[in-house]
Amino acid sequence: MKLRAAEERREREVEILAREGTHLRARIDGREVSAEFDALAAGGGTLSIDGRRFRIASARRKETILVAVGPRTFSFVRGEEGDRHRGRGLAAAEITAPMPGKVLRVLVREADAVVAGQALVVLEAMKMETALAAESEAIVKRVLVAPGQMVDHGALLIELSPPAANPSTRESGSPAS
Amino acid sequence: MPERQIRKLLIANRGEIAIRIIRSARVMGIRTVAVYSEADARSAHVAAADEARLIGAAEAAKSYLNIDAIIEAARDSGADAVHPGYGFLSERAEFARAAKEAGIIFVGPPGQVLAQLGDKIAARNLAAAAKVPVVPGLDAIEPSAARDFAAQIGLPILVKAAGGGGGRGMRVVESLEDLDAALEAASREARAAFGDGRVFLERYLARPRHIEVQILGDEYGNVVALGERECSIQRRHQKVIEESPAPGLSESTRAAMIDAALRLARAARYINAGTVEFLVDGDHFYFLEVNTRLQVEHPITEIRFGCDLVAEQLKIAMGQKVRAPGAPQGCAIECRVYAEDAPHGFRPATGAVVDLRLPAGPGVRFDTHLVAGAEIGAFYDGLLGKLICSGADREQARGRMLAAFDEFAILGVTNTAGFLRDAVASERFVRADLSTRFIDELFSDPPHDDRAESDAALIAAALATQAPARGAANGGRTASTRSPWAELSGFELWRRQ
Repeated sequence: MKLRAAEERREREVEILAREGTHLRARIDGREVSAEFDALAAGGGTLSIDGRRFRIASARRKETILVAVGPRTFSFVRGEEGDRHRGRGLAAAEITAPMPGKVLRVLVREADAVVAGQALVVLEAMKMETALAAESEAIVKRVLVAPGQMVDHGALLIELSPPAANPSTRESGSPAS
Repeated sequence: MPERQIRKLLIANRGEIAIRIIRSARVMGIRTVAVYSEADARSAHVAAADEARLIGAAEAAKSYLNIDAIIEAARDSGADAVHPGYGFLSERAEFARAAKEAGIIFVGPPGQVLAQLGDKIAARNLAAAAKVPVVPGLDAIEPSAARDFAAQIGLPILVKAAGGGGGRGMRVVESLEDLDAALEAASREARAAFGDGRVFLERYLARPRHIEVQILGDEYGNVVALGERECSIQRRHQKVIEESPAPGLSESTRAAMIDAALRLARAARYINAGTVEFLVDGDHFYFLEVNTRLQVEHPITEIRFGCDLVAEQLKIAMGQKVRAPGAPQGCAIECRVYAEDAPHGFRPATGAVVDLRLPAGPGVRFDTHLVAGAEIGAFYDGLLGKLICSGADREQARGRMLAAFDEFAILGVTNTAGFLRDAVASERFVRADLSTRFIDELFSDPPHDDRAESDAALIAAALATQAPARGAANGGRTASTRSPWAELSGFELWRRQ
């Protein structure tokens, strides 16, 4: 299974090879790891790796896998899920809210041509303004938000299409893995 | 003594601080009224109070900032006092005045004190008049005067909002060509946040410490100080780790700061709890601002002085005199756990708390409103709780903090607990190499790549995806209820393995 830590590009590959009682063998990025997993009555469990014992818990929410290892939180998406958000010829076809907040300004209109690095939307969340920019040259296909609107984490704000191409070709651009 | 009795207290706030205030009121035999927005109907503070009133829609402007709705709720419930907590309306003079006009005791300074100290330019002038050192600065900002000021004291300079707080409307200007844009942006942000677009300039201290003094004043002109708090560790100009006493601060500087804070409090005719903030550069300290309310980090002072600051506030509001505090004991550290993604610029996060494990033990306190199932939305500040650890000395308090974080987990909401643990464990923190640059410097240290920990995270994720569908594991019971739990499968299942 391919996993990508939320917000990160690097993909990790993890597979549980075997589980016998508490013993567990996994392959992580081609490297074999063995661990002891003890489930707890209260939920989650402890995982011993390399002589260290971690308290772990996990849950799935929609496409995201939430994990707690001790006090630290992780969230992962499946590699394939992450790829769905990529369109052909574009670094990112969908501009989504990286955090919940309020749309302060929308700086482009539909059919506008934009260049890499051009700011598209300004969000305000938790006392700071964040400008979201196009990662590559593109045409604004759809603007889905207006100033003043509250948006959730991951909300689709703007759809982009490749610079001089027919926007309808975008769907075919999703690779299987 | 002209005492007034408070019998019923309305808490004009939410989250952990509302619960904190309710606890003290209950101990004093005062009944409590919670107020809540539509988004908070199921929040812990609502259940904690003796009664609760809905005051409006989720948006703070329509609920927790809605003076008319809150005063109406106080009248309607028969509350004779209102405690504003921190944030929201706590420093608004018009709220204090509205309460007074309605015959309700405002647990905080009078309106005119809030108005004077809330205006940063007026507060600076008051401090200067009380011979409290201030950072060299400029009040009136014509772009040409701003350029002259920058040329005179050198770059970088800081643009600040006159009516601001909490880092809003603040900009560091590193080069002259950015000056106009910074003035414009700070003014716009300030107008949006505080309805006041005035800004001013200050010399920017590159690596200052932020140290503050807790004060209490009564209506008879008595003011006392309850030591200092070191609050240098900040992100976006907001504190995340605080401790008391301030490590490495010389006795003479500490005494001079406390003396300056008391002079300023007397000059302002300060009443109730407040905090005088300073920037400290070596042995020099400069007045920053007065926070005219209870601070988030008040518990570290409570622990060292063995007092209850909310109870003190209520007693002052009832007309009692402040008493000189005893000698402080030991050391206390607070870590603020926020719903934020620390490695990615402390971006705010949202979610539902699937499960939480809270630490306990000697010298461990956790102030929170979290319960399993709590929804953390985008409407309000993302503070999840405050882990406060104390000990006979700094090393014991620090050790308890690390041990407490090892017991701590929140599943379901990305939060800063792991970052805080690393920060407290870091060599920089051990050495008390503290400045407002601490977090930037910590992130610039070579990252410690903990492979075993990231392996554990990946295995935990893989195990979560292996769990069968929830309905099947429940013996065919389908998840027909539309609850936030319906989409959460892994954790619940593990209980049955």
